[in-house]
Amino acid sequence: MPKSKLVAVMATTALAGALVANAAAQDSFLDVGQQEPITILINSSPWYNGFENVVALYEEQTGNVVNLEVTPFDGMLEKARSAVRSGGTSPLDLLNINGTNTVEFYEGGFLQPLKDIDPDFEVPPEVLGLDDAGCWDEEKKFRICETGKLMGYAPNGNVQLLYYRGDVLEEKGLEVPVTFDDVLANCKVLHNPPDAYGYLQRGQKGDSIYYDFMAYLLAYGGSIEKDPANGDFTVTINSPEAKAALDKYIEVGRTCGPENYATLGQGDLIQLMQTGKGMQGHAVVAAFPNFDNPQKSAVVGKIDAAPLPRATPDGQPGVAIGSWVFAIPKNASEEGKKGAIAFSKWFLTYEAQYAYAEGGGIPVRTDVFASDLKDREEFRWMPAYLEEIEYGKQLLGYTEGPAVNQILGLRLNQALIGELSAGAALNRAAEDLEELFQRNGRKTGRLEPLPE
Amino acid sequence: MRSPRPAASLTDVLDRHLKWVTLGPAVIVFVVLTAFPLANLFLMAASSIRFEQAEEIWTFALWDNFRRLAGDEVFHIALWNTAYFAVVAVAIEMVLGLGLAILVASLNSFKGVTRTVLIIPVLMPPVAIGSMWSLMYGHDFGVFNQIVTGLGFQPINWLGSVDLALYSVIILDVWHWTPFVFLILFAGVEGLPKEVIEAARIDGARNRDLVFKVIIPLMWPAIAVALLFRTILAFKVFDQVFLLTSGGPGTATEVVSLHLYKVFFMQNELGYGAMLSLAIIAATIAFLAVGHRAAAAVGRR
Repeated sequence: MPKSKLVAVMATTALAGALVANAAAQDSFLDVGQQEPITILINSSPWYNGFENVVALYEEQTGNVVNLEVTPFDGMLEKARSAVRSGGTSPLDLLNINGTNTVEFYEGGFLQPLKDIDPDFEVPPEVLGLDDAGCWDEEKKFRICETGKLMGYAPNGNVQLLYYRGDVLEEKGLEVPVTFDDVLANCKVLHNPPDAYGYLQRGQKGDSIYYDFMAYLLAYGGSIEKDPANGDFTVTINSPEAKAALDKYIEVGRTCGPENYATLGQGDLIQLMQTGKGMQGHAVVAAFPNFDNPQKSAVVGKIDAAPLPRATPDGQPGVAIGSWVFAIPKNASEEGKKGAIAFSKWFLTYEAQYAYAEGGGIPVRTDVFASDLKDREEFRWMPAYLEEIEYGKQLLGYTEGPAVNQILGLRLNQALIGELSAGAALNRAAEDLEELFQRNGRKTGRLEPLPE
Repeated sequence: MRSPRPAASLTDVLDRHLKWVTLGPAVIVFVVLTAFPLANLFLMAASSIRFEQAEEIWTFALWDNFRRLAGDEVFHIALWNTAYFAVVAVAIEMVLGLGLAILVASLNSFKGVTRTVLIIPVLMPPVAIGSMWSLMYGHDFGVFNQIVTGLGFQPINWLGSVDLALYSVIILDVWHWTPFVFLILFAGVEGLPKEVIEAARIDGARNRDLVFKVIIPLMWPAIAVALLFRTILAFKVFDQVFLLTSGGPGTATEVVSLHLYKVFFMQNELGYGAMLSLAIIAATIAFLAVGHRAAAAVGRR
C-alpha cells in the first residue's frame, strides 16, 4: 500500500474512532439541546476547580456556552443582591447562594421556583436534599420541601469531617477518636506545641467559631431555638446541653490547639494540617484535596477522614450542613432561565456528578459516593461523608439566620478567650436572640439563665 | 402706539442670571451626589426596610432604631475602640511623619529617592497590605514570630491576644499611613521661607530651637490638614481590621465601620445600618470638634 494511502486510512480510522468515542461519551451524558449562553455566579472556594472542570465538560459535550463569574467568598452575597435588586434583567442566570443567606432571597421573592420555569424539572432522588436546603414555604416562612416550593438545589453538600494523621495514630498505637473525650485522650499523647497540635478547630470570631461549635452543640443534643419550622422561636441556646458542649469545645480548643486558638480560621487550620503540625482536627470536606496536593502539602496520603466525634460512643455526630444553593433569579432573561435549567438537569446526572467529583468537587449524588470512587485513594473521605450525611442538619432556615450567626459568633468567641464564662456567654446569647426574635414579632422566650 | 419691546437676547438673560448660571452645575452636582444620598440615608435611618415580591417595603421605625442604637453594646465598644485607635495611631503617625519630613527635607542628596521609597506603603492596595501583614503576624509561620523565636523567645500571639490585637492593628496602620502624613508635611517643610530659617540660624538658634520654635509653628497649617485627614480616615478604619482580626478576639478590635458592615451587609438590616452610619458621622464630627477646641485651647495658652 502506498505511503500516502496508508496515512489516509490511518487518519480515517483515527477520525472514525474519535467520532465513535465522542458519540459514546455524548450518549452517556444528558442531551439538553442547544441553549443560549448563560452566566453562573460561582465562588472561588476549594472545590471550584471541580466545578470549572465540569463546566468545561458541559461546554464540550453540548456546545452550549457557560460564562463563570468567579468571585471570592466575601463578594458573593453582594453580587447576587445587585443582580436581583438593581432592576432590569439580571446579568447572572444561575446564582450560587450561601446556605445562611438563601432565606433573604427566598423571602424577598427574588428567585423563580424551578418548576415555574420548567414543570418537568425534578431533582433526581439520588441527589442529597441536604435537609431541604433548596425549598421555601412562603406561608411558614421556612425552608421545607414537604409544603414548600423547589427554589434551587445544592451544588455541593459541604459538611465537616474529622481529619487525623493515620500514620501518627498508628505509630503511637492510638485509635481513631469516636467521642470528644477520645479526642482529648489522643491529644494528651499527640500535643507537643509548637511542633504538633493535638486538635485543630476554628475559633475565629464570626461564622468560623459558630460553624465549628455546631459539631459540639448538635452532638451534645443542644439547639439554638425550639421549633422554628413550626413558629416556636423559644431560645434554647442556654440549655445544660449547650453548656456541656461549650465547656468541651473550650477545653479541646485551649488544651489541644495552638496559642492562637481563638483566632484560628480556615486558612490557618488547613495550613497547619498541610505542614504536618496538625495531628487531629475537624474541617469542611472541601478542604481534603488540599491535604493530598503535593504542591501544597507535606503530608500527602497521611491524613485520613472519619465522621465527627460524638458526645458519647452511642451518640450521634453533630453534623451541620454548610451548603450552597444554585437558584435562578426571577429577573433573569427567559433564555437565561431555560439555559440555567438545562445546565442544572445535566449537572445533576450521575455522569456529570462523577466527573465533578473526579475534578475535585464535592458531589451531591449518593450513587456517586457509593461508586468505585470511594475505593480510590484520593477519595478515601467518601465513606466517612456518606456515613455522616444522614445526621446532617440545615440550621438557621429563617430570616434572622445571619444575625443569629453573628450573635453566636461573638458570644462563643468571648467564652473561648475567657472574656465571659461559658454560662454567661450562653445567657448573653440567649438574651440577644430573644430580643432579635421579639423585634421581628416571633413567638419567643428563653430558658432559665445558666449559673454564671 | 408703543413699539413692541425687543426680545431679550441670550446675552442679556445670561447677564441677568449670571450667578445662577455659574452656580447651577455645582448645585446640580451637590444635589445629586451629596444632598440626595444624605436625605436618603436619613430616610433609611428612620425606617425598617424589608423585601417582598422583589419590592422594597419601608415602614417608619425611627424610635425603634434609636432605642436599638442606645442599647447596642457592640456599637458602644466599637465606638470606644475606634476613638482609642484613632488617637493612638494618628498621634504616632503625626510624630513619625513630621520627624521624617524634617529629616528628609534636610538631606542634601538622595532626597527624591528617599521620598519615593518612603511613600510606597501608601500606594499599596489595602487588601494586599492586609493579606501581607496577616501572613507576617501568623503565629506559626509568620516572619515576626520567626524572628522572635530565633532570638530564643516564645512566639507572640499578635492577633489572638486580647491585650495585643488592637496594637497589632495600630502598628499596621502606622506603617501604612505614616507616609501619607510624611508626604503632606514634607511639602510643607519644602515650602517654608528659607530666609526665615537662615535668619534664625544667624541669630544662633540651635537645631532643636529651629525645629520647635521656627519650623513647627510655621508648618501649623500643613500639620492641621494632615491631622484632619488622618483623623477622619482613622475613624473610618475597616480594611485592616477586617483582614487581620474580623474584630476579634472577642470585641478587642471591633470598630464602628466593621460593625456597620456586619449589620448592613451581612445581616441585611438596611434601616438600622443607616442609623449606625449617621451615628458614625456624628461621632466623627464630635471627635473633630473636641480636637479642634483642644487645639485652640493649647494655641491660646
